[in-house]
Amino acid sequence: MSIQIENIRKNYGAFEALKDISLTIESGELIALLGPSGCGKTTLLRSIAGLETPDSGRIVLNGEESTRTNAARRGIGFVFQHYALFRHMTIFENVAFGLRVQPRAERLARAAIHERVSELLRLVQLESYGRMYPEQLSGGQRQRVALARALAVRPKVLLLDEPFSALDAKVRKDLRTWLRRIHDELHVTTILVTHDQEEALEVADRVVILNAGKLEQEGTPEQIYNQPASPFVYNFLGNVNLFHGRLLADLTPAESPRVPSPSAPSPSAVVGFVRPHEFEVSAGPVSGRNALPATLAKLNAAGPLVRLELIVADAARPVIVEISHARLRELELQEGNKVYLTPTEIRVFNDLPEDMVDFGSHI
Amino acid sequence: MTRQTPSERLARATLIVLACLLTGLFLILPLVTVFAQAFAQGWKLYLAAIHSPDVLSALKLTLVVAAVAVPLNVVFGIAASWAITRFDFHGKQLLVTLIDIPLAVSPVVAGLMYVEVFGLHGWLGPWLDAHNFHIIFAVPGIVLATVFVTFPFVARELIPFMQAQGSDEEEAAVVLGANPFSVFWRVTLPNIKWALLYGAILAASRSIGEFGAVSVLSGHIRGRTTTLPLEVEMAYNEYNFTAAFAAASLLTLAAILTLTVKKILESTSGIHAHAEREKDAA
Repeated sequence: MSIQIENIRKNYGAFEALKDISLTIESGELIALLGPSGCGKTTLLRSIAGLETPDSGRIVLNGEESTRTNAARRGIGFVFQHYALFRHMTIFENVAFGLRVQPRAERLARAAIHERVSELLRLVQLESYGRMYPEQLSGGQRQRVALARALAVRPKVLLLDEPFSALDAKVRKDLRTWLRRIHDELHVTTILVTHDQEEALEVADRVVILNAGKLEQEGTPEQIYNQPASPFVYNFLGNVNLFHGRLLADLTPAESPRVPSPSAPSPSAVVGFVRPHEFEVSAGPVSGRNALPATLAKLNAAGPLVRLELIVADAARPVIVEISHARLRELELQEGNKVYLTPTEIRVFNDLPEDMVDFGSHI
Repeated sequence: MTRQTPSERLARATLIVLACLLTGLFLILPLVTVFAQAFAQGWKLYLAAIHSPDVLSALKLTLVVAAVAVPLNVVFGIAASWAITRFDFHGKQLLVTLIDIPLAVSPVVAGLMYVEVFGLHGWLGPWLDAHNFHIIFAVPGIVLATVFVTFPFVARELIPFMQAQGSDEEEAAVVLGANPFSVFWRVTLPNIKWALLYGAILAASRSIGEFGAVSVLSGHIRGRTTTLPLEVEMAYNEYNFTAAFAAASLLTLAAILTLTVKKILESTSGIHAHAEREKDAA
């Protein structure tokens, strides 16, 4: 089922939760709504489900105007952050609920319900848990039950509201891989709300980034990661070093990057973003290139990459750099060493939203 | 636990003795006295006093009043709690405050208010009298007064409980296609049943023991409009101590029964512990 969202607005008192959001979701797509808490992603999801009514705008489900359709009649499966399992019912009854409350004319026969529930419990690998109660299950198991319950009524759209955020890191990773597998099997249009950029980039076909009730950027995970449209997106996608400076000449991404110098007189103040792995570290100055002298303050080699914290003169905060273990062995670095940093990629923006000032290094 | 110093031990012992003394003096002793007085003239007179038509009719009326008032309170209490915890509307805070009025107003005043509205010289009295409805000095008045004073019990028990539980489960049921009726019967009611029962027991206990409001509205017609608490007072004023204490012993037994059921409910359902856990999780 395709979903069209047209100019949705929603206010809670003076707070604008959604400011004119428009978005089209194709049938069978898995999209992630990504953004910090309070950005409106959950409100948007709940509006699609019919649990909130937008103040203005339209929601069109499968070509049918559904803005004010009762949530019970939308054919939607919803998975809640805190599972929302019926605590007084067994796992089996939880999954069967949606089938049992159908109008009598559409309801499946008892035996058919039993078969469908067993099939779903198999799908979520909880066949032997049917007689247990939700409180006897772990968080990850509960969320799988919640997914089975949502899928039982064969929804045309599956909406997931931060489904894995209450789980610990290991379970979270397993479940999102598993969610992707289920989606590839069932091809049900799915919207996943999350504040975890890693989750969104890993699982979704398309990522939509929301900020303060506005759509900031949408695109494939590759597009979002490689071409962030704004400083906000750049910053939100993870660790990044921020440099304040003045632009000496127009930079194009293809050009060999140069670090803007603070002493040069130039009217246009800019900010530059460099991801931790987008630095070359060398032991001595590099001829012909603009390298930053820095002192290695901290070195952490526990992990797939080596994480360096470097002090750069005039910078308010340490610069974070990631290099490979092989490179570390070549350089034979030790804390206190003096090195030179050359950014291999730098993305320059003219303006910086106020809430991001003071975020990174100042040069 | 760290070892206590002698002075700490002394303070502890003193406090425990003091607490036992006060409990004994102000709670246990009077309770025992009720039964001692009731049985002072022997078993036979006690049974005769309980079997007297006046006490029996008072007992019957008391139970009838409770049987009407408690279900009404359950319905109002669920409706009010549902509205307050599941919807946002103007005047919600006012409603929450209004629910507490019966706890703040003296029951005698509550009784007088109804006399003022339904009495012969009140606003609706002449019309009611003309149509042969009797509220004041009759059973409907007693029921009204009892409903008024017990009104907050169910709602006050349910509101914090339903707030702590949140509406996720109900929303999940709606999205799964349940109609409002199914949501209530299959999800809401099973979740609140223990808290509801707890509130109903408190309301029942209060409605059985209510004196002030009922006293104003009853008219004290023996055998027709006296409840057990009124019967206790009337017999006592007539120096009929055995009858007074026999009726009082019934009320005391009802109270002990209520406390026991309440205690069992608390430990088996863990309603209060449960609500706390939910709050922690959220």
